[in-house]
Amino acid sequence: MTLSKEKIANSIVILCLATFVLWYALNAHNASSSLENMILILPIASITLCLCIYEFFTQKEDLEKKDDFLTVLPVMILFAAYVFSLEYLGFDLGTVLFLAASLYIHGEKRLPWVIGYSLVYGFIIAYFFSMMLPYPMPMTFLPTDY
Amino acid sequence: MDIVNLASAQQAVALLFSEPQYWLVVIPGIIIGLFFGATPGLQTSMAMAIFLPMTMYMDFLQAMLFLTAIFTGSGFGAGVPAILMNIPGTSSAIATAFDGYPMARKGEHNEALGLALGSSTFGVLLGYILLFFLIKPMSLFVLKLGPSEMFIVILWGLTLIASLTGKHVVKGLIAGLVGLLVGTIGFSDNGILRGTMGLDILADGIPVIPAMMGMFAASELFKLVKSEFLVEDESQRKVRISYILKGFRKAFSYPVILIRGSLIGVIIGAVPGVGSSVSNLLSYIETKRRDKDPDSYGKGNPKGVIASESANSTSEAGSMATLLALGIPGGGATAVMLAAFAMHNITGGPQFIREQMDVVYAIIFANFAQAFLLIILGLLLIPVLASIIKVKMTYLVPSVLVLATAGSFGLTGNMSGPGTVLVFALVGWVFRRYNFSVPAAVIGMLLGKMAEGSLVQTLQISGGEFSYILQRPITIAILVLLIFSLFGSKLIEKLTKKAK
Repeated sequence: MTLSKEKIANSIVILCLATFVLWYALNAHNASSSLENMILILPIASITLCLCIYEFFTQKEDLEKKDDFLTVLPVMILFAAYVFSLEYLGFDLGTVLFLAASLYIHGEKRLPWVIGYSLVYGFIIAYFFSMMLPYPMPMTFLPTDY
Repeated sequence: MDIVNLASAQQAVALLFSEPQYWLVVIPGIIIGLFFGATPGLQTSMAMAIFLPMTMYMDFLQAMLFLTAIFTGSGFGAGVPAILMNIPGTSSAIATAFDGYPMARKGEHNEALGLALGSSTFGVLLGYILLFFLIKPMSLFVLKLGPSEMFIVILWGLTLIASLTGKHVVKGLIAGLVGLLVGTIGFSDNGILRGTMGLDILADGIPVIPAMMGMFAASELFKLVKSEFLVEDESQRKVRISYILKGFRKAFSYPVILIRGSLIGVIIGAVPGVGSSVSNLLSYIETKRRDKDPDSYGKGNPKGVIASESANSTSEAGSMATLLALGIPGGGATAVMLAAFAMHNITGGPQFIREQMDVVYAIIFANFAQAFLLIILGLLLIPVLASIIKVKMTYLVPSVLVLATAGSFGLTGNMSGPGTVLVFALVGWVFRRYNFSVPAAVIGMLLGKMAEGSLVQTLQISGGEFSYILQRPITIAILVLLIFSLFGSKLIEKLTKKAK
């Protein structure tokens, strides 16, 4: 039997979900095995695991056209870097840098546009949310008591 | 028992027109609501909480008109990003995105926005008309709903999962059930901590709205990086009032869907804690299930938008019923209204209904007017909100990601919001790629804690005796309805075939 790349990837996703369910049920059981704690988790986890086993063994070849992982990967990495940097760079500077990097990577090569848009949009968003929200946000240039 | 108190209704009209300032707060309220609803991450409850201090300087009726105007505006506003960006601004607009966004991608964004506006205004209007006639009987009915009834209503919501998944039913169920488990992470009602992996920020559970933003919006944006515009065809990339009006009128050509959605909205909206998050899905699924061509849903069927928007805007009236008649807030928005009640030293409930029926009716009548004002303000503001489709994806994708990130910070007040968006964006992308239903997972997450809470309460009340359910006629009635809604049409189909 030959397994296509898609089928292997699909199997890995099912296995990951089953592992999460099993881990969560055990974690909840270890926290407390009382009926109140397990009344929903145990039956739901059991049913989910049965469905995962069923899906694992009965999966069919999917012929739908899928996104290419490599085209999405740079956006994911950039977005992850943005989120992780917010605490250190603040919403103002972090947002401006994320916007500029995104625009440049995705084909906007006119530097005045890249810099202008990133600065204006980034600062407007950071300022708007800092004014509207009842709690402080991390910032580098805008005033904050974060 | 008189259903309507005519003398109080007359006093209510006189009260509403006694002071012009009552009406002065309505238009700003609707605009604030539209603005907050249409901004992903800003919630109705947040808008109301921010503007709550202003109501200290108003009298009680004026404060209620201002807050309900925000509620009305944001009910429709939340549908705008759901249609244009696949970001349901709130959980009540999840089902709007199912068909609204595919319509937008086909260049039918004007029509979709018009449909949403028409259905929303109809929903608000019918909801408050029903509230006018039913506030007294409803207050008595809601009192009879216990945890077992709540659980069955939630179960009803969960059974939707199977219907949402098209040809990948098992994967849809897995996604929904995993979502349900994820929804129970954190402290249980009994104070037991589970599944937090030692992270303190998860003690209150996974922040559901940021997770929803990640799964719905960010994961979709990753996919759109390759496209040049949201609407590929340049000739269709125009915002036209005439097309919006066409969509608006079209909404009224499906009266059955509108009325069914509104009834579901008012009934489910009255159940505290469930409300519009479930009603829009129930209405959507019921419409899809009854349609001759269910496969066209999720691909840009206008009926999907009508079903969702009519139900979520009617839920407002439902949740107002429990607030006014029982003093129980049905969700975040009505919880803020309860705070306004407290600020004016007013306690909702049967006594409030008995003694201040004129004020209750005045609030209801003012909302009739709000429905019409929403049409005018919606039509004026939609072109501004809809011009987003003219923006290049190169600019739109990072800009919306930034908006979602800042909005999620706004929801949690710390970095757990943006972190959740990131994690669930990746999960959502994987789910989409391998056909695990994203909406099913989100519904599961929304209902997890609620389902567990009602099950535990049922267990405690019944003492572990299953026969308890048999003593609850409403539970049995809802259960029968649930079973019928699942298998009824197939059964009727089979019986008709046999008869032929």
